Amino acid sequence: MASTFAAVFEIVSFGAIIVLVVLGLGIIASMMGIFNFAQGEFVLLGAYVTYLAYAHGAPVWAGMIAAPFVVGAIGFVLEALIIRRFYAAPIVAMLGTYALGLIIRESVRGLIGGFYLTVPEPIGGSIDLGSVHISAWRFTIIVITLLVMGACYLLLARTSFGLRVRATLENPALARASGISTPLIYGATFAFGAALAGLAGALIVPVFSLFADLGIRFLIQGFVAVMVGGVGSFIGPVAGAGLIGTLSAALPWVMSPVVADVLVFVLAIAFIKFRPQGLIAGKGV
Amino acid sequence: MSGAREAVARISEDVVTGEGAPAASAPARQASAGWKVLPIVEGLVLLIALVLPWVLQDYLTVFATRVVILALFALSFDLVWGYAGIMSFGQALFFGAAGYGVALMARDLNVTSILLILPAGALIGLTAALLLGGFLLLGRYPSSVIFVSLGTLTGSYAADRLARGWYYLGGQNGIPSIPPLTLGSYEFEEGPVYYYMVLAILVVVYLLCRFLVRSQFGLALAGLRENEQRIAFFGYKAQHLKAIIFAVGGTIAGLAGSLYAFHEGFVWPNMLGVVFSTQVVLYVLFGGSGTLIGAVIGTVIIEGVSFWLSDNYRDVWPIILGVLLLLVIMFRPLGLISFVLGERERVGRFGKAPKEAGNAAP
Repeated sequence: MASTFAAVFEIVSFGAIIVLVVLGLGIIASMMGIFNFAQGEFVLLGAYVTYLAYAHGAPVWAGMIAAPFVVGAIGFVLEALIIRRFYAAPIVAMLGTYALGLIIRESVRGLIGGFYLTVPEPIGGSIDLGSVHISAWRFTIIVITLLVMGACYLLLARTSFGLRVRATLENPALARASGISTPLIYGATFAFGAALAGLAGALIVPVFSLFADLGIRFLIQGFVAVMVGGVGSFIGPVAGAGLIGTLSAALPWVMSPVVADVLVFVLAIAFIKFRPQGLIAGKGV
Repeated sequence: MSGAREAVARISEDVVTGEGAPAASAPARQASAGWKVLPIVEGLVLLIALVLPWVLQDYLTVFATRVVILALFALSFDLVWGYAGIMSFGQALFFGAAGYGVALMARDLNVTSILLILPAGALIGLTAALLLGGFLLLGRYPSSVIFVSLGTLTGSYAADRLARGWYYLGGQNGIPSIPPLTLGSYEFEEGPVYYYMVLAILVVVYLLCRFLVRSQFGLALAGLRENEQRIAFFGYKAQHLKAIIFAVGGTIAGLAGSLYAFHEGFVWPNMLGVVFSTQVVLYVLFGGSGTLIGAVIGTVIIEGVSFWLSDNYRDVWPIILGVLLLLVIMFRPLGLISFVLGERERVGRFGKAPKEAGNAAP
């Protein structure tokens, strides 16, 4: 019983991490129609900012709070300078953001070298539930993921900013004609997606430690999750991420990890092939 | 992309003026007198490639051989992306699968004859491409570009993970110490002989590809890249064309992979994975997609500069590469080759030129 509970916690906490990473990716893909290959590097940047703060003597949580703002600002600048040119062609956008990601990743690699740098958990120790001990930090990640998810939903569904974003997604020309500054909305959306990635990177760095290929690990899983969930809505990618995250954490418990790893991808691609609209079809929130 | 569209527009303009007002076609003919940049570039590249082993030291010839094999690999990606507009982000899957396949043949079956290895490698590439391409591209609904690119990327990534975890394939270390290729009792060692053998294969494959893309099939592919819907309305089965060219690309990648495995003497999981898949995208984009020679030139330049810089600037080079790539994508979407090669020649034509046809008739 206790081990089952521990397993379930393991699975849920990994699912939460994937959801957190995919949130930003999903928002950029759904609301702007581009698949951002640099998203993994935004996660890396978030982790790096946290590490920098820690290395300079600031408390880890301060770095974690700063990370989304710093990465969001970087995202805003990059959007204005570079990404903006790619909206017309999704494939070119993929290649362009890939090049951008390469630059960021290799720059960070140059800064940290080939090391695995550890950052301590701001909330250490474990929570005891009877005979079961669960990591307090992983539990915090689950809680924060839920909070961020809720906040994003409210932002997109209930605020005037969210309405503008959705209007721009639905019909850019009409949105422009209605007086919405679509370039500004795109810039803000991209920055928001980048900030979420930065937050994800900051929160997971105590779990995975900091290394240059941290982002790549999540990128492909993230893309698959977005496609499985369905591009075009906010809920879709989140649902897809929950499914992919849970599945890839759960399957290794019942079969050999190598087979499980590959099986998740095969199942996901087959699913997308036969249901291209994804788990949750339709545009909007 | 928009450049290519302009070119098509310009060509159709030429056709209109050619038919409507013969006098106006004089400047166009003038322009077409300086037509043949492509054969000159191709000839130069071939000439340099032929004399190279005489100029280079031995260890550089080994490096040049590797570049020629990678150029063959780049050619396979160029056919798929540059001509048919299928973004295959997992081209290394076919390259690596063939590499692993022939490495296993050498390790477990003691087969090293070139007459068996190369066809086997090509066949493995073809089979893998048919399976993956058939699954991704065919079906009741046409697949979106994004789905195909992410599907191939995921396939390559999954294969990489599988190879890393599977003990039979050597895990992280791959399969080391593959014996040399043989022909009868002769062994192909690294060096000038291997270089010329690979170069000959590259030239043959290049000529076949050139014939292919200048055929009606090739023009239909280019049409597919520019406007898939229109090609479908003309009555072509767009999905079948895509699957065919994807399989051809896979075959060439398989051939390159088997040559690479025997040249390096070992195979390792990166050969299947995202690293090689994106590397080949860099080559082709940099040199110029949609021209066969562009893929070759891109490979030579990127690998050459990378080799040259690797001693002193190993850390900075990937960053420079990223910046260069970004600049090319933003300002020169057709790659370096577009500095010397006009749009008109890149797209090419099919059949006789209108003027020659006019002369021949009476």
